[in-house]
Amino acid sequence: MRYVIIGASAAGLAAAEMLRQWDPRGAITLISDEAQAPYSRPLLTYLLSGEVRLDQVWLKSPDYFEQWRFEARLGERVVAVAAAGHEVRLQSGEAVPYDRLLIASGASPRVPAIPGHDLEGVFTLRTLADEQRLDAALQAGCRVAVVGAGPVGLKAAEAFVRRGCRVTLVEMESQVLPRLVDGQAADLLCGALQNWGIEVICQAAPSGIVGKRGRVQALALGDGRELPVQAVLCATGVTPNTAFLTDPALAAAGGIPVDARMQTPAPDIYAAGDCVEARHLLTGQPAYVPIWPAAVAQGQVAGANMAGARWRYPGALPQNSISLRGFQVITGGLIQPEGADVEIVQEFDRQRGGYRRLVYRQGRLVGLTLVGQVQDAGIYFQIMSQQLPVRDLAADPHRPDFHPGRLWG
Amino acid sequence: MKTVIVRPERCVGCLQCRLACAVEHSKTKELVGAISEPVVPKARLRIYPGRQHLAFPNKCRHCEPAPCQQVCIAGAIKRTPRGTVDIDPERCINCAMCAMACPFGVLTYAPLYLAPEKRGVALKCDQCPDREAAGRLPACVEACKAGALTYGDWQETQEDKGRTLAQAVFASLQVPQETSSPLPATIRAWRQLS
Repeated sequence: MRYVIIGASAAGLAAAEMLRQWDPRGAITLISDEAQAPYSRPLLTYLLSGEVRLDQVWLKSPDYFEQWRFEARLGERVVAVAAAGHEVRLQSGEAVPYDRLLIASGASPRVPAIPGHDLEGVFTLRTLADEQRLDAALQAGCRVAVVGAGPVGLKAAEAFVRRGCRVTLVEMESQVLPRLVDGQAADLLCGALQNWGIEVICQAAPSGIVGKRGRVQALALGDGRELPVQAVLCATGVTPNTAFLTDPALAAAGGIPVDARMQTPAPDIYAAGDCVEARHLLTGQPAYVPIWPAAVAQGQVAGANMAGARWRYPGALPQNSISLRGFQVITGGLIQPEGADVEIVQEFDRQRGGYRRLVYRQGRLVGLTLVGQVQDAGIYFQIMSQQLPVRDLAADPHRPDFHPGRLWG
Repeated sequence: MKTVIVRPERCVGCLQCRLACAVEHSKTKELVGAISEPVVPKARLRIYPGRQHLAFPNKCRHCEPAPCQQVCIAGAIKRTPRGTVDIDPERCINCAMCAMACPFGVLTYAPLYLAPEKRGVALKCDQCPDREAAGRLPACVEACKAGALTYGDWQETQEDKGRTLAQAVFASLQVPQETSSPLPATIRAWRQLS
């Protein structure tokens, strides 16, 4: 069997390892347009802040590919997938035949379509090359604007402050981490950001980037304000990498459609990771959840199924952990579900600086936000992902004194 | 693999294990030295009040496969040749992804003397590698006076537990039938009537 995997990051590597365990003799080829060895994408913001060194971002040992007997074709871009001919075409013109194909091409940062978005000094942060470009452009004391207060934007803003830059965080919505946390948790986080010297501007859409001789000079906001900056980082989310797919069944705007076995509508083609639109674990609706744990889980299911197993992927549970200077926020599930029979429990522990918000729907835990005291997050996520009725648990997570001892002790 | 085996029904919640754990994971590995260290050592297991037992010791189970290891974005969590799941404080970035994945809630985040420049690192049971190398029991097991924490092969312990249960069941079956006390004459007569 010839297996070809497009992409060599979280999903691609998880799938390849699973394939090797299921099929010790198959030929496995990994194709990636990034020339470096596999690295941890979430670590890039930590690399930027100097919390980790470059030698700590590599995910695998140097002899990883030989050890697992993978053929790695790094630095080669796939330009087309011919589903009928069972082959993948590379930019060099070469055709790589396959019996089973996995598309784990990931996602690319979205850049707001505003005038000046192509100026020098406008950055995104997704790849190691992006990080190195940004790293080279930063000088202590320079002014930076971060557009988008999502997990990447927040962490990057904190990294800039650490490097001695003056940072303005611009967010379109009315709070930081929109769609991830509720207003109260956002206020707590926002207070911390301001304490560190980050200027936070919410409800402001950038309307353009002003440049002089091709270089960024200011960021113009919708309300007429102009922020004088030397660099702009766009952290406004990602879109799936599906441009190279010509088959209309695969190239959906919201991500490659897959079934519960991670198989696409095209024969012998599977997909996993940030390029797919998976099912939401709690709602059952198609959802785009580009997070690392989901990519690994999808890759494992796709890998096993490519080798002949019949595993099911139960669905993606959105979950994020944001940790800034020891200020930890864990959030996941549904933040503001629609419909009747929704109960929200909020609790603020002023003494320990902890905040807890639980969302119940029809007697089941569906949403969680923890600030400060995060150690029990996994227990809540376990209850959430198994969709256990709270009434059947030994202890109600509701109660302020809920702890593992009540559940198991 | 030998592990620390928890018997919550025996735990009395004296917290001796927590003290021993913190001391073992300090720089000096001595109580007197540990309390005066600049980075205060932390215990890696927690004792909660239980629901049906007095207390419930909660610690890392060294799962296989380990969910925390799968989600660690820094590659700091590895399985050691001994079979335990260990966190490398050098690589840990305090991102709390492991807390999100751990179904048992055993992780804490605190500074550690091995990485003093960091605000905090993820901490959990490492089953005392230094003690194992010296042929000693893990600190918490050595400290436990109630027999709630023991060290052994979990499969053997499971078998032992099964054997004890089976013996108890057999013993209860072998109790001679209780001889019922004779009924009073009035009731006997009443029953014979119907």
